Amino acid sequence: MWWQPALLIVSAVTVVGYAIEVRAEPAPTFEADIRPILRAHCFDCHGATEEKEGGLDLRLVRFQLNGGDSGPAIVPGDPDASYLLARIRAGEMPPTAGKISPQETDTIARWIAAGAKTARPEPDSIAPGLGITDEERAWWSFRPIERPLISAETPIDRARTPIDSLLVASMPPGLTFSPDAEKRDLMLRAYFDLIGLPPTPDEVEQFLADGAPDAYEKLVDRLLASPHYGERWARHWLDAAGYADSEGGAMQDVVRAWAFKYRDYVIRSFNSDKPFDQFLHEQLAGDELAGPITGDLSPEQIERFTATGFLRMAADGTASGDASPEARNQVVADTLKIVTSSLLGLSVACAQCHDHRYDPIPQTDYYAIRAVFEPALDWQAWKTAGERQMSLYTAADRQRAAEIEADAQKIIAERAIKQAAYMAEALDKELARYDEPLRGELRAAYQAAPDQRTDAQQRLLEMHPSVNISEGVLYQYNQAAADDLKKYDERIAAVRAQKPDEEFLRILTEPAGHVPETRLFHRGDHRQPRQIIAPRTLSICSPEGGGAHIDSKSADLSTTGRRLAFARWLTGLGNPLTARVIANRVWMHHFGRGIVSTPADFGRLGSPPTHPALLDWLAAELRDSGWSLKHLHRAIMSSTAYRQSSRRQPGQISLDPQNRYYTRQNVLRLDAEVLRDRALATSGTLDRTMFGPPVGVREDDTGQVVVDGAVQRRSLYLLQRRTQPVSLMQAFDAPVMTTNCESRTSSTAATQALMLMNGEFWLSQASALAQRAQREPAPALAADLIAGLPLRWEALPPIWQFGYGSCDAASGRTTSFTPLAHWTGSSWQGGAALPDDRVGWVMLHADGGHPGDNPNFAAIRRWTAPADGVLAVRGALSHGSENGDGVRGRVVAASLGIAGQWQVHNGQIETPVDRIVVKEGDTVDFVTDCLEHVTSDSFTWRIELSLTTDEGLAVYRSQEGLSGPQSDAAVELASVVRAWQLAYLRLPTREELQAASDFMTSQFRYLRRVPGHTASGQSPQNQALANLCHALVSSNEFLYVD
Amino acid sequence: LIDGDAMIETSLPLHSRRQFLAENAMGIGAIALAWLSSEQSAKAVPAKLPVEPAQFDLKPKTPHFAPRAKAMISLFQHGGPSHVDLFDPKPELSRRSGSDYPGEVQFSFVNRASKTLFGSPWRFAKHGQCGTEVSELLPHFAEIVDDVCLVRSMHTGANGHEVSIRYFHGGIPGVTGRPTLGSWLVYGLGSESQDLPAYLVLTDPDGHPVDGPSNWSNGFLPPLFQGTVLRPREPRILNLQPPSYLQGHIQNQNLAFLRELNQRHLDEHPGETDLEARIASYELAAAMQTAAAEALDISGESAATHKLYGLDHPDTREYGARCLIARRLVERGVRFVQLFLGGQPWDTHSSIRHSLPAICRRTDQPSAALVKDLKQRGLLETTIVHWGGEIGRLPVTENHGDPLQAGRDHNGQGFSMWLAGGGFQPGMTYGDTDEFGHRAVTDVVTPNDFQATLLHLFGLDHSQLSHLLGGREQQITAGREARVVREIIGA
Repeated sequence: MWWQPALLIVSAVTVVGYAIEVRAEPAPTFEADIRPILRAHCFDCHGATEEKEGGLDLRLVRFQLNGGDSGPAIVPGDPDASYLLARIRAGEMPPTAGKISPQETDTIARWIAAGAKTARPEPDSIAPGLGITDEERAWWSFRPIERPLISAETPIDRARTPIDSLLVASMPPGLTFSPDAEKRDLMLRAYFDLIGLPPTPDEVEQFLADGAPDAYEKLVDRLLASPHYGERWARHWLDAAGYADSEGGAMQDVVRAWAFKYRDYVIRSFNSDKPFDQFLHEQLAGDELAGPITGDLSPEQIERFTATGFLRMAADGTASGDASPEARNQVVADTLKIVTSSLLGLSVACAQCHDHRYDPIPQTDYYAIRAVFEPALDWQAWKTAGERQMSLYTAADRQRAAEIEADAQKIIAERAIKQAAYMAEALDKELARYDEPLRGELRAAYQAAPDQRTDAQQRLLEMHPSVNISEGVLYQYNQAAADDLKKYDERIAAVRAQKPDEEFLRILTEPAGHVPETRLFHRGDHRQPRQIIAPRTLSICSPEGGGAHIDSKSADLSTTGRRLAFARWLTGLGNPLTARVIANRVWMHHFGRGIVSTPADFGRLGSPPTHPALLDWLAAELRDSGWSLKHLHRAIMSSTAYRQSSRRQPGQISLDPQNRYYTRQNVLRLDAEVLRDRALATSGTLDRTMFGPPVGVREDDTGQVVVDGAVQRRSLYLLQRRTQPVSLMQAFDAPVMTTNCESRTSSTAATQALMLMNGEFWLSQASALAQRAQREPAPALAADLIAGLPLRWEALPPIWQFGYGSCDAASGRTTSFTPLAHWTGSSWQGGAALPDDRVGWVMLHADGGHPGDNPNFAAIRRWTAPADGVLAVRGALSHGSENGDGVRGRVVAASLGIAGQWQVHNGQIETPVDRIVVKEGDTVDFVTDCLEHVTSDSFTWRIELSLTTDEGLAVYRSQEGLSGPQSDAAVELASVVRAWQLAYLRLPTREELQAASDFMTSQFRYLRRVPGHTASGQSPQNQALANLCHALVSSNEFLYVD
Repeated sequence: LIDGDAMIETSLPLHSRRQFLAENAMGIGAIALAWLSSEQSAKAVPAKLPVEPAQFDLKPKTPHFAPRAKAMISLFQHGGPSHVDLFDPKPELSRRSGSDYPGEVQFSFVNRASKTLFGSPWRFAKHGQCGTEVSELLPHFAEIVDDVCLVRSMHTGANGHEVSIRYFHGGIPGVTGRPTLGSWLVYGLGSESQDLPAYLVLTDPDGHPVDGPSNWSNGFLPPLFQGTVLRPREPRILNLQPPSYLQGHIQNQNLAFLRELNQRHLDEHPGETDLEARIASYELAAAMQTAAAEALDISGESAATHKLYGLDHPDTREYGARCLIARRLVERGVRFVQLFLGGQPWDTHSSIRHSLPAICRRTDQPSAALVKDLKQRGLLETTIVHWGGEIGRLPVTENHGDPLQAGRDHNGQGFSMWLAGGGFQPGMTYGDTDEFGHRAVTDVVTPNDFQATLLHLFGLDHSQLSHLLGGREQQITAGREARVVREIIGA
């Protein structure tokens, strides 16, 4: 077919006009209008099977006229006289669930009234079953893929690529693409789409600075070459494949230790841009592609066997011990559901019990496809979970392991001899307590084999239990012997530990020459097997209507070759579904919705394609490029449709409110995994290690499932246990696998908000981001941004300061106070080394400290009143050594002088001061000095200050008050700028920075004044910055991508 | 089980503003709130929905006609309470106990089946002014019979748990993926509460019922109408409170700053309703921190109330606490609350002599207490209490080899449930099973009839409350035969 896009508009309009005209009084025909209704509601009993209820066959109008036991079913021209309609109207038919709707009943009535017309003469005879009509065959998704030809001569509008031409061609008048997105927005979109991680600020700068016309294309290439690309796109495929690290099933949900090998295979396949047809072939028939196993597995063979893990993804109750036929058949059914929904985009599974009610998939097709898999998934010759594993041991490994085991066996033999000797020794010793002949009788009884003992011997042993020396109680007779034997055990374990690590694959393969019969199960019930069904492809996709017979048995294969043939049919020219399904999925992940919005249902109950020609173009492009997904990404991402802005254009909203015509990009919320990964990348805590066993999860105290341990790998690598989904992932719509996930929803819920506001993980990420922002240099432009901003918290001193100095007893004032210069992370001291060259031993930590060696170097913990009020001091000063003469503690209030004074030596003393009236800014110093002797002066002095102000009571505790240096406002704002850049990948505007500064000021004031609102060990500034970071990572700019 | 209609499971396409706006049961309350201040409450979901509704929300809606009920608490007794031992006395069954059932029995477990009639080991007696006969296993229920409409002619036609429970919740036997009753109610009527989800599910410490979360699924309705689960243990809502150092003024400041960030972002994305919904979700979450904590805290209830619900006894403490919470939620405007049991305590296939009294002891007093309590607070008038399972049990014995092991198999052909308040006729029984209790024979009520009747009491016409899916109108009763059972509606 050749057409110009411009023509399409015209023809589309024509079609619409025509349709309206005709719809005035369409004459229903049997094939187009009536058969689908009867198919959905009636054919199960009146047509599909050999026996027809009441002798009535509704498959042809001719048969309806003949009728059944109750006479003709219809009287053309006279609806009211038609028995069929009477039974429907009376609600008697169908007798089971799913009544025919009033509209459908009306259609039938109109059809009868109009003479019960058929679209064409009915055949003289029809085969059993429902067959497939021309109308059904004409359904869009069954038609061959036709690549639309795009005229290159007259580029339309802003079309860059054929995709754009096709989209523009379908836009109603008045619509057009939005302007291109800003470069930074486009970059973020590409990063999240392709690798699921944010760029670094440096990468952003470099890209923005790259003025080359192909800068964007180079970016896309870089991202496609990134190993993280495979991680991001593997996740999409794992959804469709129903990946889980556990077996599911009602009982235990056993963990699948080796499932990750398949996950890693998928990542590697995407990264290497393995042709997608090959990718599918390997997953369906990797064992048949692998060739015969001679000696060690080659890397290619390992890869292909690993791929068959796809067919082992279904939940499997048989793995937790349910050996019932139901459980086995459920695994087969789920596997078929995964295969057909992900690769054919049809609800083939609906034909398990009866012919599909809406799509032309007879029940025999379901079992024909089942027959493809039955030799490997035979419910009557079931392989247990252990039997499906393939060891990756090489012959050398095996030999090495055998040698080591032989060594181990030697020690085991030695141990046995040693043990026998110990046992004999213990027995002799025990028997020595008895006299003959009892001793001899006991020995004989003991040494007799337990089942050979006479009743008398049995009784004898029961009466003398201490003679019953067993290996387990040997230690009670001879501890040294037991210890000695334990050493043997340790040696045995140590030797065995030298065996090469044995890894396994979870594979699917057929036993050689195993060709079980597949039978159709009446009503899907395995207890009601019917006729034998041969392996075939879907009837609807074969022109002759019978489905291609699958028989590729070749001499090379010891297996049936059915799956390989099926896989090749899937990706061959005869099947239009698979290429469309894959292309549609790729499009969906770039635009947030598919051209067909039901990616696993291209049948009548699915949604029709919004842009059928575009879908065909994409499918053809995929196929013709050798099934290169990376090619398809480039094709899509180079289009104007992809590159346009997501901002709603005022003129277009009313014409295209739902963006059906792609007149803008969609603003999309990040997927659960991307959200978590972005947070980790932003806070600098992401561990980018690839591959390997999954990271464990655990339930925390509040019942949430969280990552176990400190390792923060990408979310893809978290253990995907069906019954234990990670709470954060689940809240943001990651699938909880029952079978597989056809497409995700994107929900907005208050529970998500609660998780981000209050959840431990998000808070820890915010705090890590704050620390990173402080640690790393601020961007060069930060200084300019900050310059001129009023820095309003500069003048406020910290509540607690840590210094040294002296106190004049006469004046009762602190005469000097010098802040200690060095913060170790848990204490303040004079320099990195202790003692410090200049100030000596002076140091202060959370609980106390150490004074310097003369009164000019007293340790001073200074508290500054944040408000007017009355202060009460409670505390305990203690000194813990007999050496020296102890320490002196004094409370020195600026307003009052020395308010209390205590000495303590190797003991503890309370340090109460009942009442100090303070004004805002007044200091109260806690001065500790060394008295005469300068040795052993470590002290603890925990102090609690209760300040009563107009606002009420606030309690300040010295332990909580210890924190690191308070940076000045300019430094703090530079950290804000850095945090902003890390979170949003742009600098704040001046306005935004002003708002941030206001926030920091007001937080700082509050936190300083009201104790108890900082996380443990956080200074008020750090807490304020952490809170700001918390807002950044919880905000829409972080959660959504333009 | 796979049925043609099961394919309606197809999730909503990821497009349109319905997607942007309205996602989860708690997603949009605050937006609704904002609209409320400027608008009268909206018309009910229109009888015929436009092809593409502009948006979905939780604004309170005017129903099709004057409602009798505003809220509903469903005490779902999953597993199949044995009606012939609890609600439906059968003298003929007792008389002929030990002889064979004279007809065809629909069994589930053929391998353990027998046709030997098994008369109830428990005595029935008349109670209340209405004189309804009740088993000695339900002494507390016996005290509320004058407030209750007892339906003895329920019928699903299928004995299996799954088939029938899906019928009750989703409207079609055996079909999953459909919206549940609670979803439809909230879809049709919106929410009366501004800081609590409209549809709450109280699950059991022993786990979920069969089918798990699909029992409170929104199906093909927007996720806004999904049930929200309250955990069986504290914390009943996860992450409801921040760590103590962030509580109070500091969190308010933090949220104010977040709002400022989001507002700037929204200003650059005009019309992006998903972003508005996200902003609203934070507002609602903040409101919930207070409201939900308050609603779930039963410590302030009087000692008399605690005693009424059996919180002073280990058998009834857990279920009683959930019943009491259900009352508190309804008091605060929650539309639909459903309690589930974990495991299948009513599924008394064996040793019914022990297992049935045990589950009655656990549930009888709290269930009756709920009705009494609602009544004394004047809430019963407008609150429907529903008590019932998806099936009943057979009159014949199962595992009859050993009398101590005897139990009863599933029975979807006839069973009982009770309803109170919200316009149901109090003090009556309705319908009959046959003389042995196997099949409902007079005034048969199906789950679709039940749904139609419930919606009617809420002022909704079940055939008109529709949602457009793939070009087809969907209702809870799915176009199936369904009648409003007017005989059990009070004057």
